Amino acid sequence: MLKSVGILLVAAVILFIEVPPLLEKKYKKELIVFSILLAFGVGLGIAYSFGKSIPNPIDLLTFIFKPLHDAITR
Amino acid sequence: MLPTVKINSYQFLVLSILFSIGTSILIVPSALATNSKQDAWIAAIIGTGIGLLIVWLYTKMGLWFPNLTFVQMNETLFGKWVGKAFSFLFVCMTLLYTAILLYNSGAFLNTHGMSSTPMAATNILMAIILVMAVRLGIETIARSAEIFIGVFFLLFIILVVFIAPQIQFENIQPVFDVDIKSLAQSSLTLIVVSSVNAVSLLMIFPAFINKPKSAQKSFFIGNLIAGLVIIIITLLCILILGADLTARQMFPGYGLAKMINVGNFINRVEAIMGTLWIISLYFKMVLYFYASVYGLAQILNLKDYRPLTYPLGMIVIVLSLVIYPNVMYQKKFETTTGLYFSLTIGLLLPLLMVGVYAIRKKQLKKDAISS
Repeated sequence: MLKSVGILLVAAVILFIEVPPLLEKKYKKELIVFSILLAFGVGLGIAYSFGKSIPNPIDLLTFIFKPLHDAITR
Repeated sequence: MLPTVKINSYQFLVLSILFSIGTSILIVPSALATNSKQDAWIAAIIGTGIGLLIVWLYTKMGLWFPNLTFVQMNETLFGKWVGKAFSFLFVCMTLLYTAILLYNSGAFLNTHGMSSTPMAATNILMAIILVMAVRLGIETIARSAEIFIGVFFLLFIILVVFIAPQIQFENIQPVFDVDIKSLAQSSLTLIVVSSVNAVSLLMIFPAFINKPKSAQKSFFIGNLIAGLVIIIITLLCILILGADLTARQMFPGYGLAKMINVGNFINRVEAIMGTLWIISLYFKMVLYFYASVYGLAQILNLKDYRPLTYPLGMIVIVLSLVIYPNVMYQKKFETTTGLYFSLTIGLLLPLLMVGVYAIRKKQLKKDAISS
C-alpha cells in the first residue's frame, strides 16, 4: 500500500515537471504519448508493488525464437 | 523537428569504446570460458575480428544518409509503415537491453557491494542518473564520457600491472585444445554483445556527428580498442583464475581484482576496480536508453524527446526487476534467445537494408535531388 502511494507521488512530481511546459508550447501529440506511457509505467509499478506477476517480455521472445533454436540445435 | 546537436569524432570514439566494452568486460570472460575452456582468449580474438567486419558494415550504411538516424533510414528505405514497424522492433530491443543492463548493475552491486539493500533501491538510483543524462542530451553524455574514459583506462592499467605477478602459465596449457564448434559458439557471444548490439550507435553515428567521414574511422578504432581490452581481460582471467573458475563465476573480472596482492600491502582493492565496470555499464546503458527514447520520438514524429524520458525510465525500472527471475534464466536467455534477437535486429535487418538500398539506389538519388 505504502509503495503504491509512493509511486503515485512520484508520478505526480513527474506530471508537475513535464506538463506545464508542454501545455505552454501546445505540444498536443507529445502530451498524449507522455500520458499513455506514464499511465503504463504507473500501472506496471503499482501491479509490481502489490506482488502481482508481470508478464515477462523475454518469455514472449523465447516463444518466438524457439522454433529457430530447435531447428539450429537439432 | 527534434533539436540537433553535434559531437566531434573524438567524442564518438570515446562513446564507442565505452559502449563496446560495456558489459563485456564483466560478464563475457565467463561466457567465453564456458564453451572453449582455456582457449577462451582465442575465441576473444576471433570474436573481435569478426565484430570489426560488422562494424565496417554499419559505418558504410551510416554514410549512405549522413543526416539520418537509424530509425529515419528505415523509413526512407522501407517506406512509412514497414519502416516504422522495423524501427519499433529496434526500439523494443534497446529498451529491453536497457532493462537488462540495469538488472546487471543492480545484481553486481547487490552481490558484491550492498548485499542487504533491496535491488529496487540500487536500480532506482541508477535509473535516476540514467534519465538525467538522457534529458541533458547527447553532447553532455559525450563530454562526461571524455572525462571518464581517463579514469577508466587509469584503473584498467593499474589492474593489469598489479595483477601481472600472479600469472601462472600452466593455466593456459594445453593451447588449441578446443574444437571448432565450441570456439564458434563462444566467439558468437562476444560478437553479439560488443559488435552486433552496436547497431544502437547508428542512432548517433551519422546524424549527430559534425564530420561523419572521420567518425567512420573512430567507430572502427573504438571497437578495436574495446576488443583489445576484452582480449586482455579474458587472457588475464584464464591465466590467473584458470578456465574452470572463470567459467563458474558470475563476474570473473571482479574475482580477478580480488586476487591483487602486491607484497601483502596492496590487496582487496576490488571495490575500486568495481568503478571500472560501473563506468562502462553506465555509458552502455545511457546509449541504449538514448537510442530507445530518441527512436520512439522519431517513430511518432514528436517535436521533443524529453517528455518521454521519465515515463520510460519508470517502465525500465519495473522491467529490470521482473526480467530475470533467477540466474539460470539469465544464462539461458544470454546463450539462446538473446543471441537470436540481437542477430535479427543487428545483422539481418541491416543486411535487408543493404539489399533494398542496392535495388532502390537510383530512385532514392532522384528523390534526393528533386526534394
